[in-house]
Amino acid sequence: MDERLERYAELAVRVGANVQPGQEVFLFAAVEHHDLARALTRQAYRAGASYVNVLYSDMHARKAMIELGPDEALTYAPGWLKDFVTSIAGNALIATTGDPEPDLLADLDGERVGRAVPQEIVQIRMQQMGENSVNWVGVGAPGEEWARQVFGEPDVERLWEAVAYCMRLDEPDPAAAWSEHLARLEARTTQLNELKADALRYRGPGTDLTVGLLANARWESGSSTTSGGITYVANMPTEELFTSPDARRTEGTIRQTLPLPLSGQVVRNLELTFEGGRAVRVEAESGADLVRSHFATIENADRLGEVALVTKESRVGQTGLVFNDPLYDENATCHMAYGAAFPFLLDGEPGEGFNVANMHVDFMVGGPELEVDAVMPDGAEVPLIRNEEWQLA
Amino acid sequence: MSVDGDDNGRRLEQYAELAVRVGANVQPGQEVFIQPMVEHTELARALVRQAYEAGASYVHVVYRDEHVRRARIELGPDSALTYSPDWEIALTEAESGNASIGTMGKPDPQLLADLDGERIGRAVQVQIAEIVQRQHRESSVNWCGIGAPNAGWAKQVFGEPDVERLWDKVAFCMRLDEPDPVAAWREHIARLDARAETLTALRPDALRYRGPGTDLTVGLLPTARWGSARFRTSGGIDYVANMPTEEIFTTPDSRRAEGTIRSRKPLSLNGQIIRGLQFTFEEGRIVGVDAEQGADLVRSQIATNENADRLGELALVTSESRVGQSGTLFFDTLFDENATCHIAYGMGLPYAFDGEPDERTNACNVHVDFMVGAPELEVDAVLADGSEVPLIRNEEWQLA
Repeated sequence: MDERLERYAELAVRVGANVQPGQEVFLFAAVEHHDLARALTRQAYRAGASYVNVLYSDMHARKAMIELGPDEALTYAPGWLKDFVTSIAGNALIATTGDPEPDLLADLDGERVGRAVPQEIVQIRMQQMGENSVNWVGVGAPGEEWARQVFGEPDVERLWEAVAYCMRLDEPDPAAAWSEHLARLEARTTQLNELKADALRYRGPGTDLTVGLLANARWESGSSTTSGGITYVANMPTEELFTSPDARRTEGTIRQTLPLPLSGQVVRNLELTFEGGRAVRVEAESGADLVRSHFATIENADRLGEVALVTKESRVGQTGLVFNDPLYDENATCHMAYGAAFPFLLDGEPGEGFNVANMHVDFMVGGPELEVDAVMPDGAEVPLIRNEEWQLA
Repeated sequence: MSVDGDDNGRRLEQYAELAVRVGANVQPGQEVFIQPMVEHTELARALVRQAYEAGASYVHVVYRDEHVRRARIELGPDSALTYSPDWEIALTEAESGNASIGTMGKPDPQLLADLDGERIGRAVQVQIAEIVQRQHRESSVNWCGIGAPNAGWAKQVFGEPDVERLWDKVAFCMRLDEPDPVAAWREHIARLDARAETLTALRPDALRYRGPGTDLTVGLLPTARWGSARFRTSGGIDYVANMPTEEIFTTPDSRRAEGTIRSRKPLSLNGQIIRGLQFTFEEGRIVGVDAEQGADLVRSQIATNENADRLGELALVTSESRVGQSGTLFFDTLFDENATCHIAYGMGLPYAFDGEPDERTNACNVHVDFMVGAPELEVDAVLADGSEVPLIRNEEWQLA
């Protein structure tokens, strides 16, 4: 048995999802991630799971569906899959990330790829997020394919070293190191929540964007708590402070700074222009059709659902690597997401500025040249990030 | 890609096409359910492509993982052993009226060898097993089981992970070496059906098995039909449930089995390998289980699953079998049961007789085939008047 893999899985189960004795665990993994999925299953049972449900996905099956299947297949949500996702409420969820072949669908029609979303399934998960009924975590699955994308060669050892560093597995007591780390992030979210900014302003090469903030949406970081009182860390690694913006008040242009593997295609150099909160122009070096198809076929996908701030203390950023995996890359640098906002951030009921969509796609916008300011209700600007460093005292 | 690779790619697609078109016989507009193991991705993906090419409206791929099963049995609570999650019940129910393809060939047939046989034997998802039984009774699914060559399976068979050699054996058993495999299959099934008809017409009252360590008489139902693995759904879709298939079979009168039978080949069962299995029957029930290896697992299955101690199937295979001719022990029941005569304990086959099932048809949540054939095995039909008609001698068919 691979000791390192078991320790990694144990961290995901105990600190990440924080699986409680008697809970069922639902595990989503690409079929290529079966080594990690098996370790997670073992660790979940060791943590007292009553049953571990494992559902493997296969992008090649998806490719065949988009390429050869009828139109109805694209959005079909099978009843058993709805049952699977519905059953997650009140239980624990673990998802592995890291698309083994992010370019697999590159030669398919982007419009069809974008349309191929079982929206009913996404809706169930969104509802669970709203009710905060699931303790969950996403973790990366180190393997040859992922290593090849990071290093150009299948150097799994080197990838493991980077992953172990980002996950604080190099610390003598990783669980304790995580507690400290989460407390540091928490202190910053407190600063932001006390600042009560009205908007964020982003400036940088190709970027000048103002995003309105919601008065009743909190900033959060690392750890969350379910409505049933279970504390969990939804992403491992996590280095971000995030909130959901006022989706009606986005103006200007933002440029993506790291490539984004998305639905079997890779989006590069995405540039979005917003007017009155909606994306009115989509340009990209690759993947523009896919993003346009999302905006055209999924209601409110063309509005923002998340803004997130990451600074140079990030262990992911410190590796200097592009992981080609959103879970990692979004924790290397500032990012935002188009699509669904997070209901668990709200105090009170969602208003019109709160975005509801059956999709949530993060894309990276940070870099040394990006300046982020808080715009106060009186119009004054308070620097938040310069040269990837945190500016609030 | 090399020329070799192209040839292998073609063989894979041809194989998948045979399973989809001749095996499950997927109809346009049907949903298709594929349940491969995670080590079977290559074949699974070819099956998905071929199913969509055949007009499937949607192809569900739900991977199984023996290591997840191992963790459940080794580390999970008792309640996990028999638990049927709602989603899995819904998944199984959804197969009714649709097509299903299962892939066989465990990458490690001995993965559970060091676990408690009693716990393995108890680990049956009862609710799901009951749905599958009902689907069999109602003939509501056109389905097919095929092998998925992989390195681990090849290692079990040859002592080395020579997948290419395993592919050659599988291709031979599947008649992929024929110029027109589809036509070859049609002829092959017609031969088996003709043999089955002859035996049905003979109307034996029982079969008698004699050989080393074996003297067993098993009663047959007066309404018994012998058949091949070519079936028809209640909706009229013809399908071949096992590929390869070389057997003709029926379901016995489960109240009438007397004597002793010895298994002649290792049996790969639930992650363990059973060797030297021997059963003693009295009045239809197993009263003695012996084995050189794996006896606990079989005893646990029989102790915890009602009626697993009675017989559900008798199957006759002769020396024309391509699986037998391959001279290979596959450590996989789909293949090994088609090399030679076999018998199953547990669930009876509802489509192997005329009329409604009654107390003579065995209702059970497991169905385990074990191989009893060998050159020395003699099989006779015992007629109603007590006379005996030789059916098999030296693995050759004796009826004209």
